Amino acid sequence: MLDVLDHLGISEVNSGLSDGLTWKNTTGEIASMISPADGRSIARIQQATGKDYEDTVKLAQEAFNTWRMVPAPKRGEIVRLIGNALRIYKDDLGRLVSYEMGKIYQEGLGEVQEMIDIADFAVGQSRQLYGLTMHSERERHRMYEQYHPLGIVGVVTSFNFPVAVWAWNAMLALVAGDVVIWKPSSKVMLSAVAVHNIIKKVLIDNKVPAGVLNLIIAGSKEIGDNFFADKRVPLISFTGSTNVGRKVSRIVGERLGRSLLELGGNNAIIITPSANMDMAIRATVFGAAGTAGQRCTTTRRLIIHESVYDSFRDKLVKAYGQLRIGHPLHATTHVGPLISKASVSDFEFAVKKVQQEGGRILFGGTVLQGEGYESGCYVAPCIAEAKGHYEIVQEETFAPIVYLMKYTSVDEAIAIHNGVPQGLSSSIFTTNMLEAEQFLSHEGSDCGIANVNIGTSGAEIGGAFGGEKETGGGRESGSDAWKVYMRRQTNTINYSTNLPLAQGIKFDI
Amino acid sequence: MNIKSIHRDITIADLAEQFPESVGYLSERGIRCLRCGEPIWGTLAEAAREKGFSETQIKQIVDVLNARSSGFNSQGKSKTQEK
Repeated sequence: MLDVLDHLGISEVNSGLSDGLTWKNTTGEIASMISPADGRSIARIQQATGKDYEDTVKLAQEAFNTWRMVPAPKRGEIVRLIGNALRIYKDDLGRLVSYEMGKIYQEGLGEVQEMIDIADFAVGQSRQLYGLTMHSERERHRMYEQYHPLGIVGVVTSFNFPVAVWAWNAMLALVAGDVVIWKPSSKVMLSAVAVHNIIKKVLIDNKVPAGVLNLIIAGSKEIGDNFFADKRVPLISFTGSTNVGRKVSRIVGERLGRSLLELGGNNAIIITPSANMDMAIRATVFGAAGTAGQRCTTTRRLIIHESVYDSFRDKLVKAYGQLRIGHPLHATTHVGPLISKASVSDFEFAVKKVQQEGGRILFGGTVLQGEGYESGCYVAPCIAEAKGHYEIVQEETFAPIVYLMKYTSVDEAIAIHNGVPQGLSSSIFTTNMLEAEQFLSHEGSDCGIANVNIGTSGAEIGGAFGGEKETGGGRESGSDAWKVYMRRQTNTINYSTNLPLAQGIKFDI
Repeated sequence: MNIKSIHRDITIADLAEQFPESVGYLSERGIRCLRCGEPIWGTLAEAAREKGFSETQIKQIVDVLNARSSGFNSQGKSKTQEK
């Protein structure tokens, strides 16, 4: 890893504060970043303080005044160059993401590719920040709407996608004319530092002002509620738990700010009798065990028709038996470690709880020990038979546990499917058009993402990503998600010499 | 940060990092420390109060966690197991 760290500009001790162009001296606590892969310290971060936060916001405000005056397509050009820089560092950054977070190397590469993809998307978007025109009811009047930059966008990201979620937000915010303050997860700080090292040269070479892209690394004690309550930050984009998201929503809502929430999921696949079972098995294994069950879109529930339940269950157990669990950078590994020992404890609790509630473990559910597993963060992905109403099934456990349930009719399957508080991603495997269309209709899945013959995870950047209910309702990435980063203004222009009032109101003086 | 003992105002983040076994104990009492793999924000006392625990009960929880943690080293491995 040393050469990778060297390429990415990671030192033994790194500053946790950047204005995009310069790394600043900070005086906060020093934190060691430990890889869950082998328990070794990768490097250290000197974190920022509350005072640093104040300075960052002031600089960002100044930067916004300059950046918003740059034409959107020229802002898009900066994003294009950032995308190109990411292409150059794709392998190194992918390796660091893998080592620091624990996802396998292929997924690390995939995450950086997502950054590149959203950069490309945003470049095109920079020439398509369209508003509508309307026909006025008044003679010689014209109406239209336009989208203006919003200001400072606060981006709080979670550990499981250390870099991609920032890119989803930052690339669109940049073309929208906004500036960004990024607070990454305290578990994957080095990946954030590496990203800022990669973009630094692009920003300097193109004379982008300091303060357009800011990174501030600190704990929630230093930068938490104060960030959300800050009226100078019109939009907070938060990716993480429903628990913290609720808090963000409350604090931002109290000041009538805008929040974009990407919170927990409890995603399910419905396996119907007509499903292509081989496809369904592959999608399930990747969806449930991939990234060690630590994606927001991880498959956590399988709702299987009773006629194919036994055969599907047996095939799934057999497939799980073939999974190779180990170091995430090894080419043959399918499943890496959990992010922390605390996550392992959480996994163990869920395995115990599902059994206490009457469930049955069919595979895995244990903590792995011995050679290669010294970090204490490796577990055997778990398959459990359960009922939809179990307390533990209603919750999201961020670990590789998938719950199997039986259904008789499609209506029942959809009821089970929708019978959880979360509403992120969903899927049905079927070749029956009627079932597929019902699932996608308004009487079907209540999630923000609903797929047919594709698993719950692995979304493309072109669509709007997000979910309903306790998932928070936010949408980011593709489609028209860019609109949340801008403020809409409706304009009416009178090019007559009269002043007619709307609705025909007479008010003569 | 190295924390020697658990107190009511310890952040859940520090608790989960320094005493990971605490997560299981607290989960069994309805206090889920991790969500989406990240520690919830706030202190142990705040998390417990949110779940309806009284100040006396919070003190008892802290005492139990300290007693249990004395059986574990800071890496979360049982001293007994290490022997």
